[in-house]
Amino acid sequence: MSINSVGANTRLAVQSLVDMRRQFGDLQRQLGTGQKSETYAGLGLGRGVSVGLRSQLSAISAFSDTITNVGMRIDLQQSALGRIAKLSDEIKGAALKSTTMTNEEGIFVQKGATNALGEIVGLLNTRAGERYLFSGRATDQPAVANVNAILDGVAGQDGLRQVIDERRLADLGSDGRGRLVVSTPAATTVALAEDAAGSPYGFKISGISSNTAAIIVSGPSGSPAGVTIDVAANPTPGSEVEIALTLPDGTVETVKLTATASQTPGPGEFTIGATAADTAASLQAALGSSLGALADTALTAASAMAAGNDFFASDPPLRVDGPPFETATAAVADTAGRTVKWYTGEDSSDPARASATARIDNSVTISYGARADEDALRRTLQNVAVLAAVSFSADDPNATTRSVALNSRAGAALGASSASGSIASIQAELAGAQTSIAAAKERHQQTGSMVSEMLAGIEGVTTEETAVKLLALQTRLQASLQTTSMLYQINLVNML
Amino acid sequence: MSLSQALSAASAGLRATQAGMSIVAGNVANADTPGYVRKTPIQVVAAAGEGGISVRLAGINRELDQYLQRQLQTESSGASYAGLRAEFYTRLQAVYGVPGSSTALTSIFDKFTESLSSLATSPDSAAARTAVLGSAQVLAQQLNTMSSTIQGLRNDAELGLADATARANAAMKRIAEINWKLGASGANDATTATLLDERDRKISELSQIMDIKTVSTGNNQITVFTNSGIQLVGLEAAQLRFDAQTTIGATAQWNAEPSKRGVGTLTLTTSGGADIDLIANKSIRSGEMAAYLEMRDTTLVEAQAQLDEIAATLARALSDTTTAGAPVSVGAQDGFDVDIGGLVAGNQVTIDYLDTLTNTRRTISLVRVDDPAALPLDSAQSSTSRTIGIDFSGGMASVVNQLNAALGNTGLSFANPAGQTLRVLDDGSFNRISLSSVTATTTESGFAGGSVQLPFFTDGNDLYTGAITSGGHQRVGLAGRLSVNSDLIADPSRLVMYDAGTLAGDATRPAFILERLTQSSLDYSPQSGIGSPATPYSGSLSSFMRQVVSIQGDAAASAQSLSEGQALVLNSMQQRFDEKAAVNIDVEMATLLNLQNAYAANARVMTTVRDMIDILLRM
Repeated sequence: MSINSVGANTRLAVQSLVDMRRQFGDLQRQLGTGQKSETYAGLGLGRGVSVGLRSQLSAISAFSDTITNVGMRIDLQQSALGRIAKLSDEIKGAALKSTTMTNEEGIFVQKGATNALGEIVGLLNTRAGERYLFSGRATDQPAVANVNAILDGVAGQDGLRQVIDERRLADLGSDGRGRLVVSTPAATTVALAEDAAGSPYGFKISGISSNTAAIIVSGPSGSPAGVTIDVAANPTPGSEVEIALTLPDGTVETVKLTATASQTPGPGEFTIGATAADTAASLQAALGSSLGALADTALTAASAMAAGNDFFASDPPLRVDGPPFETATAAVADTAGRTVKWYTGEDSSDPARASATARIDNSVTISYGARADEDALRRTLQNVAVLAAVSFSADDPNATTRSVALNSRAGAALGASSASGSIASIQAELAGAQTSIAAAKERHQQTGSMVSEMLAGIEGVTTEETAVKLLALQTRLQASLQTTSMLYQINLVNML
Repeated sequence: MSLSQALSAASAGLRATQAGMSIVAGNVANADTPGYVRKTPIQVVAAAGEGGISVRLAGINRELDQYLQRQLQTESSGASYAGLRAEFYTRLQAVYGVPGSSTALTSIFDKFTESLSSLATSPDSAAARTAVLGSAQVLAQQLNTMSSTIQGLRNDAELGLADATARANAAMKRIAEINWKLGASGANDATTATLLDERDRKISELSQIMDIKTVSTGNNQITVFTNSGIQLVGLEAAQLRFDAQTTIGATAQWNAEPSKRGVGTLTLTTSGGADIDLIANKSIRSGEMAAYLEMRDTTLVEAQAQLDEIAATLARALSDTTTAGAPVSVGAQDGFDVDIGGLVAGNQVTIDYLDTLTNTRRTISLVRVDDPAALPLDSAQSSTSRTIGIDFSGGMASVVNQLNAALGNTGLSFANPAGQTLRVLDDGSFNRISLSSVTATTTESGFAGGSVQLPFFTDGNDLYTGAITSGGHQRVGLAGRLSVNSDLIADPSRLVMYDAGTLAGDATRPAFILERLTQSSLDYSPQSGIGSPATPYSGSLSSFMRQVVSIQGDAAASAQSLSEGQALVLNSMQQRFDEKAAVNIDVEMATLLNLQNAYAANARVMTTVRDMIDILLRM
């Protein structure tokens, strides 16, 4: 620009001084705040990107919050599940070991089961903050009722012990022979039959065999199912008749009657009498007492296991149609709420994992819900509860046998693998979610730092650059101010 | 007698020098007076008797370039327009907040979605539910505040217009008065020069307010016109009137029809008595007034429309359910059955069909309109989309009649097979059109009816349905009225419980809300200035906000740079003008020295004449 206005009212010079002053102030603000501008207008073309990056950053922060939250929940679930699996293994070990145990050992298993039941119930009611982790979507309700309610019931509602008791009465029948009727249709014939057709209770005759031609067995046939033992001739000592009985829990026990010449037959033996009719009478007596003994041991144990199923696995619970219970021939679903509901969480048939989901990345959703009524968890709780519910009296001669029968059944059920999954498979599914979380977390950290850098590039200023600009501007401003001041001093008025 | 001639010439010289001195003194004294133009004496030779020459002050010259002055007036209109516009844009930018700060709209929206994401993770948490409502209220209040700030700016523009009108009237009146005075005197003296200075100052004041054209008509007279050619000032001044409204809301807008106008309009009463609406005539194209008008009627209205669109989308996205019609065939005609029983005012039935003759996809929206004053309504948004208002008060038969009457020529036919079902059929074997889809959109009004949709945001205490009334669309000004549904605040569990038996940990509804507000692609009305009627903008809510911030930021930045450019042009022109017209003290001082010398010389002449006369008398 050519110089043509020295001494004149130099507006442009003044304007540029004002501009420089303003720039100086702006640079000072930039240095102070580290921000390029206070408005979107001042950000330049990057303003749209800046808004987008900010919302991305906020989404990442939301995802990270979710990850922290959900990660903690899954950790708690995993540790609860791990502990439940360990308890299940311990009880199983103790129960199966004690096949030849004393009363004290039996009591030890029951005691252990009672403690374990308390712990499992506590673990299933694990909370993360205010949230129950094993209640499916009903996260504000405990997953299972407390131990006392499960075992002994609450006012107006019966617990497991009452259900086991009623079922025992129904399974054993009034004569304690497991609802089987022994009769003698002819002098040499003993008939054994179920007391009612289609009844779920008591022994079910599933087979009969004889190893001698002298005793002719037939059946099971008819309705209600029955078998006949025809003592056609006196058998030789050692001859055997075997009756296979199916118990309420599906196990099969055999009543074996052995012919003996002794006039004082031991348990499971019958005396070969003078006539076939005498032998038949002895066989009938032996059959009666064998059934009584089996009913008091294996059948009682199996009945407790079945009652556990009625209480835990059926919804609504199944109850014996009584009183009187001894003669009941049907189970009824308890729709009136007479029974404690052990599971208090969400009642749904959709996959348990889907009951809690979390979005941990734009397109990654994990499922981590769990319900205490999932088969694997329910089985563990059920078998431990049955072990804890049944008690044995020290003066009962059959107590040891019964305790062994129960322990072996419960022990086997605790370890049984099932198509509907095990605790380990739940843990594996949750571990899958944890893996996704770890991957997403790393991704978010990387993206987050990248986005922050880009954002700093658009919105921020570097201290060095601003400082250099400030220095340059300072020099220019000083020079301008000095020249302007000189310009105004060189005035003819001062020279006159 | 030449000695006495010399004496009188010298004394004339002294007089002229004194006059020059007084002009220099005036110039120096007014060196910093705005609008003052440097004066120079006009000295002419005067004959004094035979052979005698004297000097005479013929007048006072104003040192200015008139061509440059006219250009300066034009530029000062432009500069004050650009400057005021930039100032308003800067104030508007403050509405969108400091980038990245917690008060920026986008940050507040991000906070809201963060709280939703946390609710989706912990639907049972009372704290998470309250947090969602808290951040939603902050968002609604932010939109309210932004809306009222924008309306406040419109109010400022209105007041600015009133003020500018008063100043323009004062300036025009003074110009007319000066024209009178100058016409009466006709002299070229100091008074005339001062009046001319003042008139120039008034004209430059007027040119900052509005764009004007001046025409000199001789005898120092000047006539002022608007750029559109309407005379403002001659010997008489026209009168501007502005009926300023005291409070301006979003629904108050300019309209040529006085009954529909919520803001003031600018009327010019010419000296002949005729009334001219300057806004309707688009006579104001530059200057302060143009900037005020542009802000009040365009820029700020559009900024409000963008916020309204954000508010409306927030409400609609969560409360609207779109149900697809069930396919049906009657003879050769194919079509859809759709239940319109649940439609409330503002809800729509959308018909999509292919015009097979031109192979064009067309959309017809049937809107329920309850206000009879808003009917008939049949407007085409673009060549392919059309909205028709339907009155539901006469029952289904009347609805079908209205539809067949309005759309029969398109080939579509309507029927009511049963109940509240509307049957839409194509033209069958003629095959001119083929229906693609018929959908009904309804607004959910309750919380626990089993649908995940909910009226999360409301228009004050009313449901937002997009109703059209004689007052306009419900969307207008919604940003100022948006609030979180008070029923929801009373019972935050409704954020989760979408049915009577919903469990506390069920994330279905929170996940729906989150998905709609962050992932779903939604459509936006082109009235917001984003997208066009033919291809409306669609995208997530946050991408729309990004567009809004981008567009506003861009407009503000370019307004600022335009203003800076204009200021530079104006300043350099002003400087060029000043080089000639402004007082330069150095020049004045030099003139002063000259005058001093001349005075001394003239005095010497007189002394010499006196000496010579003395010699003569002593002889």
